[in-house]
Amino acid sequence: MQFDDQGRVNKSKKRAVFNQPEAKNRVELFRHLPQYEHGSQLTDLESKFLELDSMHPAVYKVGVQYLAGDVTGGNARCIAMLRAFQEVINDYSTPPGKTLVRDLTAKISSYVSFLIECRPLSMSMGNAIRFQKSRIAKLPLTLSETEAKAALCNDIDRFINEKIILADKVIVRHAATKVRDGDVLLTYGSSCVVEMILLYAHELGKQFRVVVVDSRPKHEGQALLRRLLAKGLSCTYTHINAVSYIMHEVTRVFLGASSVLSNGTTYSRVGTACVAMVAHAFRVPVLICCEAYKFHERVQLDSICSNELGDSNDIARVPGRPDVNSMDNRTNEKNLQFLNLMYDATPSEYVSMIITDYGMIPPTSVPVIVREYRREYLLI
Amino acid sequence: MTQIEPQNQLTLDLSRKHKIEGSQATARQTAELLRSVISQQRVPYTNQAGALIDAVKAIGEQLIAANPVELAVGNIVRRVLHIIREEDLSLTTAAIGGLNLSAVSDDENDDDRDGDSTLSAAAVAAAARSTLRPPSLQTLLEDTPVSAAVPQTSSSGGDSEGKSKSADKSSRSRKLKHDVIEAVNELIQDIVTCHEQIAEQAVEHIHQNEVILTLGSSRTVLEFLFAAKEKKRSFRVFVAEGAPRYQGHLLAKELVARGLQTTLITDSAVFAMISRVNMVIVGAHAVMANGGVIAPVGMNLVALAAQKHAVPFVVLAGSHKLCPLYPHNPEVLLNELRSPSELLDFGEFSDCMDFGSGSGSPLLHVVNPAFDYVPPKLVSLFITDAGGHNPSYMYRLIADYYSADDLVVQRRATAGN
Repeated sequence: MQFDDQGRVNKSKKRAVFNQPEAKNRVELFRHLPQYEHGSQLTDLESKFLELDSMHPAVYKVGVQYLAGDVTGGNARCIAMLRAFQEVINDYSTPPGKTLVRDLTAKISSYVSFLIECRPLSMSMGNAIRFQKSRIAKLPLTLSETEAKAALCNDIDRFINEKIILADKVIVRHAATKVRDGDVLLTYGSSCVVEMILLYAHELGKQFRVVVVDSRPKHEGQALLRRLLAKGLSCTYTHINAVSYIMHEVTRVFLGASSVLSNGTTYSRVGTACVAMVAHAFRVPVLICCEAYKFHERVQLDSICSNELGDSNDIARVPGRPDVNSMDNRTNEKNLQFLNLMYDATPSEYVSMIITDYGMIPPTSVPVIVREYRREYLLI
Repeated sequence: MTQIEPQNQLTLDLSRKHKIEGSQATARQTAELLRSVISQQRVPYTNQAGALIDAVKAIGEQLIAANPVELAVGNIVRRVLHIIREEDLSLTTAAIGGLNLSAVSDDENDDDRDGDSTLSAAAVAAAARSTLRPPSLQTLLEDTPVSAAVPQTSSSGGDSEGKSKSADKSSRSRKLKHDVIEAVNELIQDIVTCHEQIAEQAVEHIHQNEVILTLGSSRTVLEFLFAAKEKKRSFRVFVAEGAPRYQGHLLAKELVARGLQTTLITDSAVFAMISRVNMVIVGAHAVMANGGVIAPVGMNLVALAAQKHAVPFVVLAGSHKLCPLYPHNPEVLLNELRSPSELLDFGEFSDCMDFGSGSGSPLLHVVNPAFDYVPPKLVSLFITDAGGHNPSYMYRLIADYYSADDLVVQRRATAGN
């Protein structure tokens, strides 16, 4: 939904489960995206727990986890949501006078809008929801309620297993062939697939070094760094500004993605485009590791038309730097705005190869996969 | 001789690296120190420029060795050396012109005139030799101080001529020091007012409703944007915070205090936002002879993104930042690595930095460079206090400000006396 459409915004506010005060100092360029004051959201939602009788507790729990930032990453969020839907389906019973198909679809839609209020959907979640709805719609009418519910839960299990877990294993196998002895591999932020690749290659006994590049405000790379060091990999840690300094000793760059769009643009954590650009300038190959279920038929040219805005206080406040934080009280000053982008779009010319569970493809082949293999969803 | 106190103090401050912040302050202090060195230096009657140069080189070597990455120090030392040479040259040409005139006007006494003319010829030769000429094979082969030659010729002439010659020379030496100190004062003035002169050019480059991107904090950029604001241009500024020093926060605070619409973004969002930016304006730590820029870390990222989106990348630099050296491997040789604690909290990661594990070397290595090198092909324009220039033109400015003899600031071991 485009947020600068006032009529639709008002309608959705009426349906909203909990109150979200809008951020005061909004960046003009991003009027079409929602931006809320993050301070009070979590407490507000928690206080509403007993009032939400229409909300399944599993979905509520997932929503709170999203809002608090406990569950992050495309795969993790998607799996959490699908497991919650499994519980919903198991506990579901058709009310009298309604059909299972229509009622369940309506219920799922209402839960999805609740989850959107907690945190805007990622592309992986969007695809999974579409798959779910299409499976519900395709249920044969001859099935009884229990059989239908069992079939749906089974579909969800298969989706998670085939599209995410097995796909990750295939990607890791493919990517490990691209790691040679003596390599210096660079990664940005924290991607679960890239972490699996590095650990698998290390287990195979390949000798390589890892460079972990990190950035504000989330410092996601630190968690990845800790896990890699625990497994005995030799790592270098730096921040994104120093990527030009470190790039001349790097041999390969492995990056994760939230989604790959049909014009070959990679939509992933903000900063990925910077890293890919510098790697391209230094002639270092960039490999994107992404499961095929994250591909999307949308196209996007830049990072502004569609994005997610995070908490502006994360930018204003620098932990551990009181001299800089003296401007913290200025978040409400009229002329000053803080912009916390969550995603950015990496142009396809910076990407050498995309490693998916369908193989290793160039960025130009993404719309082919979207077109040819979408039908597979229907045949599942 | 020279005062020990201020020189040692400045050397200490430079080597501590955080006492003096910014090239402008460093440059001004260096210039003031050299001025006091010159004014206190006793110069002999002959080859006074050489003595001054030796003294300045001695101090300069120490200052540069204290902090080789702070290029402004070396720049100012070389500027002062160039000033000494220039002043000496202009005084000598004036003296030669004066002597010729006096010889021609005195036409009563032929003998005197002959004597004068021979004296003037010898004096001219001596004066020409005592001037520091640009290096040629002749000067390299000579390589002996010519101070011995001059007193002989002056004593062979009459007493009156000799006296007038020595009087000329002593007034000349005083004049040299005086001129040099005046020129160094002008240099200090230039350093202090470089911001104003650069800011005057702001109106030519910033138009209405423009969007400007900058990274970190630079006083030159601040004054530049203020000057445009004064002229009633309304524009917006995106400031990238410049981790891990977070100077961008300070710049944003200043801009907002002056009423400019400012948005603070993280460095990782630079590529995302630059497609909507009209111009990138940044400051520099130093400008090298090939037009390359040594800038705070992260600048290469911004420059590459600007090139990809065809956004002009404008660098503001005072002339005291122009360095006559060519950058060889600048990422390593002209860089400073700062403490890892700015990136990782020691308390949380101390177990990973344990030297006792495995082979004895730690698994974790943290890299925190302070500077970045931007190659000249990424820079669209340099705006200095002498106007706007292309990166390919910067080497010509070096000829204005520096002499070729001074590129290596080292006292020659074979210097006489």
